Amino acid sequence: MEKLLIVAVYAVYAAFWLRFLGHALVWWKATQRFSEPVAPRVRAKACALTATDVVFFNKLFWVNPGLWFGEWLFHATLTLVFLRHLRLVLDPVPACVWWVQTPGLIAGYLLPVSLGYILIIRLLTNQEKYVAPGNVFLLGLVLVISCVGLLMQALFKPDIVGVKLFILGFTGFSPAAVPDSFLFVLHFSLVLVLVPFLPTHIFTAPLVMMEARKREQALRLVIHEE
Amino acid sequence: MKNDRSFTEELSSRQVLEIDACTQCGECLKHCPVQDVTGNSAVSPPEKIRMFREFIRATDGLKARLFGPAEVDRKLLEDFTKAVYECTTCGACGQNCPVGIFTQRLWPMLRKEMVKRGLGPLGVQAELPNAIRHSGNPYDKPAADRYTPWFPEQVKLVERSAIAYYAGCTGAYEAPPMVRGDVLVLNAIGEPFTMLPPEEEVCCGFPLFITGQHDLLKELVTRLVEGYTARGVKMLVCSCPCCVNIMSRDWPLFYGAVLPFKIRHITQYVSEAITQGRLRVNKELHESVIYHDPCYLSRGVGVIEEPRSVLKSIPGVTLLEFERHGLNSRCCGSGGAARKVFHENAIKMGRQTIDEAVAKKADRLILSCPACYAKVNEAMQGYEKQIRITDIMELMSGLI
Repeated sequence: MEKLLIVAVYAVYAAFWLRFLGHALVWWKATQRFSEPVAPRVRAKACALTATDVVFFNKLFWVNPGLWFGEWLFHATLTLVFLRHLRLVLDPVPACVWWVQTPGLIAGYLLPVSLGYILIIRLLTNQEKYVAPGNVFLLGLVLVISCVGLLMQALFKPDIVGVKLFILGFTGFSPAAVPDSFLFVLHFSLVLVLVPFLPTHIFTAPLVMMEARKREQALRLVIHEE
Repeated sequence: MKNDRSFTEELSSRQVLEIDACTQCGECLKHCPVQDVTGNSAVSPPEKIRMFREFIRATDGLKARLFGPAEVDRKLLEDFTKAVYECTTCGACGQNCPVGIFTQRLWPMLRKEMVKRGLGPLGVQAELPNAIRHSGNPYDKPAADRYTPWFPEQVKLVERSAIAYYAGCTGAYEAPPMVRGDVLVLNAIGEPFTMLPPEEEVCCGFPLFITGQHDLLKELVTRLVEGYTARGVKMLVCSCPCCVNIMSRDWPLFYGAVLPFKIRHITQYVSEAITQGRLRVNKELHESVIYHDPCYLSRGVGVIEEPRSVLKSIPGVTLLEFERHGLNSRCCGSGGAARKVFHENAIKMGRQTIDEAVAKKADRLILSCPACYAKVNEAMQGYEKQIRITDIMELMSGLI
């Protein structure tokens, strides 16, 4: 079991980078071709608007405020939870990671709430015309992972030192013993299942949002005087 | 089907990123006119993107690079082709995309890829290149009939002028009251203007561009640009949103240089003439009118205020708005050359436009696109709801 988990960790790690490399190759190949005829100048306003789009999901707010609330809460809490987990990966732990421990803990409780809210809107209301099965699988998986994480936080605490030693072990290519906690093994294994399915839009969506803002700024210049 | 050719061949770098950036959230479906009339999510924007991702993975993914391209299911390719051609390319999905994918440009390029693979275009769309080669227009009608049936006798053109008017094929052959109105209003403004002879005013290339058949485009664009340049043109005025869109966005690319003249939609030119006092509206019109924004004029090139400014200049007129207007306007059904193949969809969409205009108690539905004009008029034939449909310049020409 222990060896299997270690092999799975490295297999998932390799698969993640291979997948990323595959996507990066497609992106790189595309940049070698041609650009669109309309190449609007990058403006400070477009950059600032893009930053707010990425942080606040402005466009989703305008098209669906109800879903926006759930999606924004989900992405914000997931980010905080991810940052909180860095204390288990980094040694020594930087001060900024310590700062997010309390917000990250609160976020850990809100994360499953936001996921439940999104799934209710997507599956149990008539609000949505389209539901991507892949998205539902991902949301469901993160919901289970976050609930198991909460159980460990609130009720069945694993040996946190053992957890850190285990994680530092495989990140340093010197595997240590798997902590003796069923919930931890389950939590960790589900994360390994999640990694290959992580959507690549987390890398590309901000760039596309930037292009959209530039295009929006340039629309009035297509056949109008500046 | 074995794929030695990359599926990203026809896409710009931005479009490759866009395909990857779709979150499959499905918000776009609420704004898709094809969804409104078919309810078939298999032809929806996220489904098209999901399918195309599979194609890209088959030819460009890491596995394909290491072990060679994989086969793509022929049925999936055909389903995708149908979905991408059933779309009206109105771009409402992109306008409401939380990520901001520029779908009004993406779908035509995906169509181009399908053409290169011998899967597109569909039905009569395939006849467009030959028709244009043969007669200069997609309707394959004689050049001799391009102006004659509608051109007002009292209007005199000049050989050379800084201003030229391009009637466009759909206006000339399918919406003559519209182009007649254009010419009458231009004449009333009083500045001399020129037009190419009917056999030289060939298709602007939009029907070919939008159906993914790009082979003839360079030749057509070069011919037109050189024709206008030889007449000393500095501003080319046109009333067809699709023509204006391709002229301003793509002609420079196909011509290979910045155009030697500006492109203007007729409402821009007329609105400015009214503001400057060069055109006066002499008659009153005590009616409530509702203006429909053509997709390629509003979302395409940002002409939204000028048509409204023209209409507001008419004494007595009350201007109503559709629920979805301006950048968020709803397609009337005639876009993307889909109307020739998916006729029933187009009629249903046209009737939705009529329904809303009637519900808003408008006396008149004002259009400013020849394709909208032809299709919405067709949609009203035999329909229980009726409204008077008038092109914006057709209306203006009767009031000056």
